[in-house]
Amino acid sequence: MIRFENVGKTYPNGTPALKDINLDIEKGEFVFLVGASGSGKTTFLRLLLREELPDSGRILEAGRDIGELPKWRVPYLRRNIGCVFQDFRLLPNKSVYENVAFALEVIGRPRSTVESQVPQILELVGLSDKSKNLPSELSGGEQQRVAVARAFVNRPLILLADEPTGNLDPANSESIMALLERINRTGTTVVMATHDKALVDRMRRRVVVLDKGEIIRDQVRGVYGVNEGAAR
Amino acid sequence: MRVYFRYAFRETISNLWRNRMMTLAAILTVAVSLSLVGSALLLKQSAAQASVAWQTGTRVTVWMNAAASQGELDAVRTQLADSPLVHKCVFFDQARDYKEFLASLPPSETNVLTAADMPTSFRCEPTIPADAFVVESTFKNQPGVYAVTAPEQQIRQMNHAIRILQIVFLALAGVLLLSATVLILNTIRMAIFARRREVSVMKLVGATNWFIRIPFITEGFIQGLLGSFVAAGVVTALHTWYPLHNEFALNNVALLGTNAVVIGVGVLIGSVGSAIAIRRFLDV
Repeated sequence: MIRFENVGKTYPNGTPALKDINLDIEKGEFVFLVGASGSGKTTFLRLLLREELPDSGRILEAGRDIGELPKWRVPYLRRNIGCVFQDFRLLPNKSVYENVAFALEVIGRPRSTVESQVPQILELVGLSDKSKNLPSELSGGEQQRVAVARAFVNRPLILLADEPTGNLDPANSESIMALLERINRTGTTVVMATHDKALVDRMRRRVVVLDKGEIIRDQVRGVYGVNEGAAR
Repeated sequence: MRVYFRYAFRETISNLWRNRMMTLAAILTVAVSLSLVGSALLLKQSAAQASVAWQTGTRVTVWMNAAASQGELDAVRTQLADSPLVHKCVFFDQARDYKEFLASLPPSETNVLTAADMPTSFRCEPTIPADAFVVESTFKNQPGVYAVTAPEQQIRQMNHAIRILQIVFLALAGVLLLSATVLILNTIRMAIFARRREVSVMKLVGATNWFIRIPFITEGFIQGLLGSFVAAGVVTALHTWYPLHNEFALNNVALLGTNAVVIGVGVLIGSVGSAIAIRRFLDV
């Protein structure tokens, strides 16, 4: 589903963000991306979204080299990738329902699709009874569930999560993880960047550890590690 | 597609309403500047039309004294007919002059004179238009001649005055159009800033660039359009309530043409203003 081939990326100020990355992620996998701040996690995710292009190597998504996509095709690439962030990024003046519906409306989905899909996805994240509330009236965990609903409502092939539990307490982190697992079981590939050691250790999923732009460990059913990455 | 139109319409209206003071300022500036453009255009057409009317046919009129004898009249007639400078002449007797006089003034002002009060005249066409002045100087001291008038000079002076007026109007309009464009640019920029969260979410979920841009473009377009509608209204009002008379009177085709230009320019500056704002401030 995702393949990095000798991918390198250096920022204009000269700091290398990623060095010669080779990585294969299969369809339906759940991958933790682990590493200290500045280890290249965010660059990794930005490359997947084609917010940036690699300086060397190539990135394949669903068999296509995304570096070769013309600029106007990029929005269509992003329709296949859902995104969740640490700071939720909900629209404060729209209700929960409208926030999720917005994601479908702006890619031109007909009203009938919106009306059938949105309640269904709100049911999945367990927020059917709050659909008319504004984000400010919800707890952090609930807001993040709205963000997940928005990312998943278009049934993307890939779901990227950039420290989705970074602002949440353990109980809410737990419910978000349960949600991501459930989404993963539908066949969606999930890539999650995180600092949460306890969570990674308990889940026993594939762990990719980045350090100074290099992959220093790639382990199936891995743990966060004691002397590596953010733990240092 | 239908979904999109509904979306773009709603976005545009809410953007306009959110920035209503700026929108109003932009619309009014467009309206004022285009009213000037429209008036200048009407004036120009009017003047051009009047000049053409005056320059065809008669260019020199030899007015005879009411007391001129038949001999004096015949002498002038013969000299005019023999002069190589004069192409042809028509003699207007009192009845004919009176008829022309009735036609050129409103009825309320014509009842003070009767046909007997009218002078007689020769309406002449010089061989070369510029010779009008020579004809004038040759005949003005002939016995029995009251005065010789050649409108050529006045036409030139009037055209000169109108041209200066036009330049002033258009220069003012140019400055105002520029500030209208900048105002539209600024309202669009504020709209983009107010909606930056929406724009970032739209980019994230894969809305196409044009989908994101079009509501902002329509916003500028509508501001230009509304402003030019007001200006077209002003131009039409001027034309209807303060009409020009005689040779200056313009028909409705000229008015329609002027309004079309006004609306065209309005739409153009609205679109240009928003296009610049989008290029500079909307990063998609």
